[in-house]
Amino acid sequence: MSSVTSPPRGAAPATTVRKRGLRRDGFWPWLFVAPLVGGVAVFFLWPIVQTAWFSLTEFGVFGGTTFTGLDNYKTLFQNGDLYKSIGNTLIYTVITLFNVPIAVVVASLLNTPGLRGAAVYRVLYFLPYVAMPTAVAMVWRIIFNGDFGVLNYVLGWFGIDGPYWISTPGAAIVAVSIVGLWSLIGFSVIVLGAGLKQIPPDLYEAAELDGASRLRQFRSITVPLLTPSIAFLSIVSVIQGFQMFDLLYAVLGTTNMNPTVFDSMSIVYLFYQAGFVTNEKGMAAAIAMVVLVLVALATVVQFRLQKKWVHLD
Amino acid sequence: MTTQLSRRNILAGALGLGVMITTAACGGDSDSGSDTAGAGYTEPSADLKAKLTYGVWDQTQVDAIQKNIDAFNQKYPGIEVAISVTPFAQYWTKLQTQASSDTLPDLFWMNGPNFQLYAGGKKIDPITGPVKAGAIDPANYPEALTSLYSLDGVQYGVPKDMDTIGVWINTEIFKKAKVDVPTADWTWDDFQTAATAISTALKSDGIYGGAGGMDGQTTYYNTIFEAGGSVVADGKSGYNTPQSQAGLQFWADLIASGGSPTIAQLTDTTADQWFTSGKLGMYWGGSWFRAALAGTDLEKSIQALPLPKGAQQATVIHGVANLVAANSQNKQAAHALQAYLVSQEAQQALGEAGSVIPAFTGTQAAFTKSMPDAGLQVFLDAVEYAKPLPVSANTAAWNAFETKLLPDAFSGSKPVADVTADLASQMDAALAKE
Amino acid sequence: MTELTTTPARTPKRRRPAGPRRNNVWIHLVLSIGAVVMMFPFVWQILMSLSTNAEVQSVTPHLWPAKIQWGNYAEVFRQLPFLDQLRTSVVITVIRVLGQIAFCTLAGYAFARMHFRGKNLVLGAVLSILMVPSQVYLLPQYQIIKDLGLLGTMTGLLLPGLFSAFGTFLMRTAFLALPSELEEAARLDGANPFQVFWHVMLPLIRPSISVLAITSTLWSWNELLWPLVVTTNSDDMPLSAGLATLINDRTVNYPIVLAASLLATAPVLILFIVLQRRVIDGLATSGMK
Repeated sequence: MSSVTSPPRGAAPATTVRKRGLRRDGFWPWLFVAPLVGGVAVFFLWPIVQTAWFSLTEFGVFGGTTFTGLDNYKTLFQNGDLYKSIGNTLIYTVITLFNVPIAVVVASLLNTPGLRGAAVYRVLYFLPYVAMPTAVAMVWRIIFNGDFGVLNYVLGWFGIDGPYWISTPGAAIVAVSIVGLWSLIGFSVIVLGAGLKQIPPDLYEAAELDGASRLRQFRSITVPLLTPSIAFLSIVSVIQGFQMFDLLYAVLGTTNMNPTVFDSMSIVYLFYQAGFVTNEKGMAAAIAMVVLVLVALATVVQFRLQKKWVHLD
Repeated sequence: MTTQLSRRNILAGALGLGVMITTAACGGDSDSGSDTAGAGYTEPSADLKAKLTYGVWDQTQVDAIQKNIDAFNQKYPGIEVAISVTPFAQYWTKLQTQASSDTLPDLFWMNGPNFQLYAGGKKIDPITGPVKAGAIDPANYPEALTSLYSLDGVQYGVPKDMDTIGVWINTEIFKKAKVDVPTADWTWDDFQTAATAISTALKSDGIYGGAGGMDGQTTYYNTIFEAGGSVVADGKSGYNTPQSQAGLQFWADLIASGGSPTIAQLTDTTADQWFTSGKLGMYWGGSWFRAALAGTDLEKSIQALPLPKGAQQATVIHGVANLVAANSQNKQAAHALQAYLVSQEAQQALGEAGSVIPAFTGTQAAFTKSMPDAGLQVFLDAVEYAKPLPVSANTAAWNAFETKLLPDAFSGSKPVADVTADLASQMDAALAKE
Repeated sequence: MTELTTTPARTPKRRRPAGPRRNNVWIHLVLSIGAVVMMFPFVWQILMSLSTNAEVQSVTPHLWPAKIQWGNYAEVFRQLPFLDQLRTSVVITVIRVLGQIAFCTLAGYAFARMHFRGKNLVLGAVLSILMVPSQVYLLPQYQIIKDLGLLGTMTGLLLPGLFSAFGTFLMRTAFLALPSELEEAARLDGANPFQVFWHVMLPLIRPSISVLAITSTLWSWNELLWPLVVTTNSDDMPLSAGLATLINDRTVNYPIVLAASLLATAPVLILFIVLQRRVIDGLATSGMK
């Protein structure tokens, strides 16, 4: 694995240049970030600050706050639903994370020189990503149907008696994760496709001259040079995994329609339930802050880890 | 008249401004003194000019509503009404956002479970004025239903439409199973017997006897009322009583006997889907289900029956009301539209448009005529013994406990009495917070 | 292994041997199986949009409609002001995508390649907005738009969507992956940072900008809750919100909803097909190093 961790020798001068370039850029960076940071501060950061405050209050349905200190957090941490929802969210996140390795394989296969129909494949893999989530969910519900669904029909060929996917605790979150995985692959293929285009073709030519097999080229050139994109996708997948809500709602239905939703709840669903259904807005704010801290921790860990394996020129 | 009117508008505007400032000062906790505003209603003159927004959640009713508004504009050509459709799934999120910012539509749809939240939050202008002025007479609408829209003795609106629950029957399946179609005076036992008989006879076809949506409104609230129990009474849960337990046991027995698909099957494929696919003999459903049947192959073999009788006869009644926002800048015009939409003339037209049953007593004939052989009259006759949908100030809080806990009782994985004890204590805690 | 990655830079450029090879068969096999899985729900959606509601609702799935119901598509146009909503969707999407590209490339460049005090803190703050449930922003953003007097306007509808933390992160990643020689050379030639950004670095990340364009287009095109909450008239709604109004509480006409969603998806899909050569193969000609 040495080639993964140590940058190619050819890039060595760049590193020294970068070291030399460790300088301050004066006011320029601030000019560059100002428009974005301004908008973000007004429309996004300020709401987060407000939410942090609301999490310490009992918040009326239509406004009006009473300071209650850490009460919301105390109630929340005593509630088993929180841990269950974190568990479900982790299951979802881990399963959907597999979109990245799948997409690496698909994207590099699509990048095979002279592959006919690559453009068609790209469109087909991209379809799930463009499709409207509500429409997609309707179709998946039919596929997952325990009595009449295609999935259990196909499983039957192999002698497997499939469960009632969307109404069995445990199976339901897996069903939702499968849809999530399915819809993410297209996006990752696109991102990795762009990353692959940045790999100079000479690398492969040289490898071929050296008699390296395709598999070897994949392991020693493609994967290492894709690591920045892979790292990006992993971080984004984890962040999105923690935000999962719409899909659960669309595939499983509301709590009224499907009692399994309570067992399959994601942490953002818990937030939504408190904030918009049962009208405990202070509690909802506290859940939002817990989500923020969890995702921030996960992201920091990933950033730390990626220094070890991401190949940066 | 015109000058007087405009002076009042200015006053109202000034008052509104004052309200906004106070609101801002005390962090959005608004009290607009709406009672006085509502009480001062007089019928507007025909040349009143105003722009109203009317918030609704059902796209299929828009054509009928537009007809009502066109007729209203014959009388008030200066009042422009824009219909704003938001799907039900997002309607309440949007309404809450608007209420929190005092930007509610002038007139908007409300349902029973959410009403007390908004009325208690002073977001709605009562109809005290229009009633006093004779523009609305609550006596024209089913009493059980108007009671849903009053809080602490103040009436905030009257229903514009209504629905009750009955049993939809596929006579073709009864014929095939060689089971006699029940009659209107049937009992719980008759229902259970017919359900198991059909399931047994047609097992090889995958056809079941009877089922419901397993939500309160169309199934267990009804059987609880029929057993003489209650869901919520005097700020307390009514679940942990022998009567209510009997109402829940009805469904547990039905599923245990095989007369109904299991809970998991009913989640994957909803009861109405089982029914419309011709795989269910009897379906507990609302009068609104008519729309799903009209024009299908199934229509010819449909028969509607009142709910089978338990210790007593009952059904759940519910309906949507049009309410005027407390923050509306055009309250007079909004109340005028509100009053018109529930007038006999408008209700008659609404009924003829066919998507819902109007609430005004005596305007509902069009509904029964829409499927003349199905005996839809039972849904109207049910008004007599109907009970309002159980609600409280924060209905959704305990609804969540029902949907979370009750399935265990229905599936038989826990005894009904254990579940009701648990449910009642959690529900009481939620109710105590109101 | 290290040997492999060291030689290339000096190897003369030469086209890789093109054309089918023996193991392309396996590649096709793998890709086709995957493609079937990927497109199956979509194809089914098309078939269901051409069925009757009874067929869609039927518990034994009908794969093929008994009679093709083209009328479902006509019904969409009858129920929705489709062209008005299409226009709104196009306008807000174009403005947001351009805005996101402008703001995100600038900020992403600064975060990736410049040095300033508090950089990581600011970046962390920007990224943190991805980390809370998006519904958190609904009420505060609504109130800001209201206070700005922009409720019911197109500006109010599109304003918060001009700023994307995701896009900034994507652009930062793209800039990070670039070699620094060119940048340094330009600097030594006396170009100011903006000139370096604009003339040297920005062209190099064209493929990633395309990715941002695709993702922000799709996000803007499919966004649901915000447009539903800030618009009142169906004429002012984008398509995503408009077609959600077809999903009724109790009696949903599924074929109509599916037909409408296919109609709404079609423009972005066509855009992607048309652009994909430029988009995906964009860099092939723009010359690395």
